[in-house]
Amino acid sequence: MRIRFLRTEGFRLSALYAGVFALSVVILGAFVLVITNQALRDQIVTFSSTDIAAIRNGYGSEGDFEAIEVVHQLMAGPANSGFYLLQRDGKVLAGNLPAMSPRTGTIEFSDSVAGGSREMLGVGEFVAPGLYVFSGSDKARLRAVEAHILDVMLVLFAVALLIAVAGGTLVSRSFLRRTDAMAKACRDIMQGDLKLRIPVRGTRDELDRLAEAINEMLSRISALMENLSQVSNDIAHDLRTPVTHLRHRLERARADCRTAEDYGVALEAAIAKADEILGLFTALLRIAQIEGGERRAAFAPLELGAVLAQMRELFEPVAEEAGDTLQLTAAGQTIIRGDRQLLVQLFSNLIENAIVHTPRGTRILLSLSRADGRAVARVSDDGPGVPREEHERLFRRLYRREASRAQPGYGLGLSLVAAIAELHGAVIRLVDGPGLAVEISFPLAAEEMEKA
Amino acid sequence: MAPVRFLVAPVKILLVEDDHETSAHIVYALNGEGHEVAVCHDGQKGLETARAGGHAALIVDRMLPGLDGLSLVRQLRAEGNPIPVLFLTTMSGLNDRVEGLQAGGDDYLVKPFAFPELLARVHAISRRGAAQDSEPVRLRAADLEIDLIRRTVHRGGRPIELQAQEFRLLEYLMRNMGRVVTRTMLLEHVWDLHFDPRTNIVETHMSRLRGKVDRGHGGELIHTVRGAGYTLRAD
Repeated sequence: MRIRFLRTEGFRLSALYAGVFALSVVILGAFVLVITNQALRDQIVTFSSTDIAAIRNGYGSEGDFEAIEVVHQLMAGPANSGFYLLQRDGKVLAGNLPAMSPRTGTIEFSDSVAGGSREMLGVGEFVAPGLYVFSGSDKARLRAVEAHILDVMLVLFAVALLIAVAGGTLVSRSFLRRTDAMAKACRDIMQGDLKLRIPVRGTRDELDRLAEAINEMLSRISALMENLSQVSNDIAHDLRTPVTHLRHRLERARADCRTAEDYGVALEAAIAKADEILGLFTALLRIAQIEGGERRAAFAPLELGAVLAQMRELFEPVAEEAGDTLQLTAAGQTIIRGDRQLLVQLFSNLIENAIVHTPRGTRILLSLSRADGRAVARVSDDGPGVPREEHERLFRRLYRREASRAQPGYGLGLSLVAAIAELHGAVIRLVDGPGLAVEISFPLAAEEMEKA
Repeated sequence: MAPVRFLVAPVKILLVEDDHETSAHIVYALNGEGHEVAVCHDGQKGLETARAGGHAALIVDRMLPGLDGLSLVRQLRAEGNPIPVLFLTTMSGLNDRVEGLQAGGDDYLVKPFAFPELLARVHAISRRGAAQDSEPVRLRAADLEIDLIRRTVHRGGRPIELQAQEFRLLEYLMRNMGRVVTRTMLLEHVWDLHFDPRTNIVETHMSRLRGKVDRGHGGELIHTVRGAGYTLRAD
């Protein structure tokens, strides 16, 4: 558990970084080594060539004697570490090296001495026919410098690695702390604390963005769950009533019915009540399904005016029979994206409300217009209207106004309207009037927006 | 309520439904009309029985053990089996109807349903299977005649002016002449409405249509079938 950070993404990233860094130190080291080595060799060769030039000069002025003298002077020079050889026909005249087979140019050879061998690098040259000179250095110095450079590089490498590992640990620890906090929040939410959210630091970094996305998802989920639990509560509470009524009726029928005809009437009433209960179920399920949003996948462009025209045609005779009038005013084509079947149900609900909940002689008006780049459909009537303080409650599930309790219905019509509108990204507004006006503004279809 | 008499020739119907109570209920309703019903309780068995043939219609539940209803019907259609299909389901889902029709179903009925609704739909689809080949130009019932191309209506030789939706309503009744059509069938097929309206849409439009087609013409053709719906009959 203590080395859990080794398995974090943060640590993996810093380990990778450390690896790349170390590799670059190695490459840099090798480069420095090669360059330094070359420079040192060049220096040895240059010094050796200078020495040989001095010996040649000596020989040129006064022959063997002076050449030997120059070698002795060079060997006795301050802080001299060089090796010299002056030989004639294989016989050493001067120097601190044994005789050897003469090779000219820049040469390297090993020379055995007591207790091992040394590596020589230097320049060999015939100063005169038969007179061979070598001047060079022990490569041990070269090796020492190389070793020193290597040591420095090794230390650098170790320090770089240490910094990378320490940094990686620190980074992944803080990363781990935050992901741990997120995981803990998730677990707490799973335990049932749906109000809880993942902590956000406000730095807008990737973890914050992730946390925000998760929080948005949680909000949506909890909204859906609240919705679900509300539906279950509604069903539990509100189905009791009609089921209880059904039971009462059946009980009374058993006590009171005398003839087959009595029973027939009682059974008809019981079936009607059962149908009402089933209708309530269907309506609740449908609202839940619409709120689930899956229907949006089937959205297609449609002409809203045509839908309203169909509505007028459908309900005009119904309104007339109820002593009302139903008119439509719509101008031009208005295309929105939506589900025709659901929109038909939305407008049917609103128009039926206007027919059912108003006295005879009410004028109902359907209208379609445009405002602020939206299509505004309106169903209004000049009936008694609804007090402003009740507007909010109207869209609540199973809410029924005192005045309409005697009418058949479940109090779900406007909840369904609200759900369908929401699915279409439409905004519902209740307008006080004379009477009541329900205004629904839909976003226009994209192609319509371009035309505008 | 007196049982509704549909007065159609008895046929053999295949029912695939896993719920025994529901299947007993449906068998009872169909037997009452004189139909013979073969019942399968799982999808695979249902598919094999349907393949064997000899049924005038198939009533199939959406959710079945073994093979679900949609796959069963898709399989039958893929094999070129033309048997008329009525889907049954408890799901009140919005997409279920479309899915059922796309899979090759002829009609769709959401459980729970009233007996007359089931019978009317079974009759409508089983008849549809028989008379699908030639699309008629004119439909006639006694002295009422409608022209489907010119969209004109004559009764006793005299023209009758109908609105578009009144014509569609009359056309649907004429196409199902002698059969009972329910309120829900009319809402779905004439107006494409798939919910239960709170106002009496069907009754109102039917009353207008009757006013134009039947009133003052002697001899009513459109009849109300109590507890079931309507029928257009020439007798």
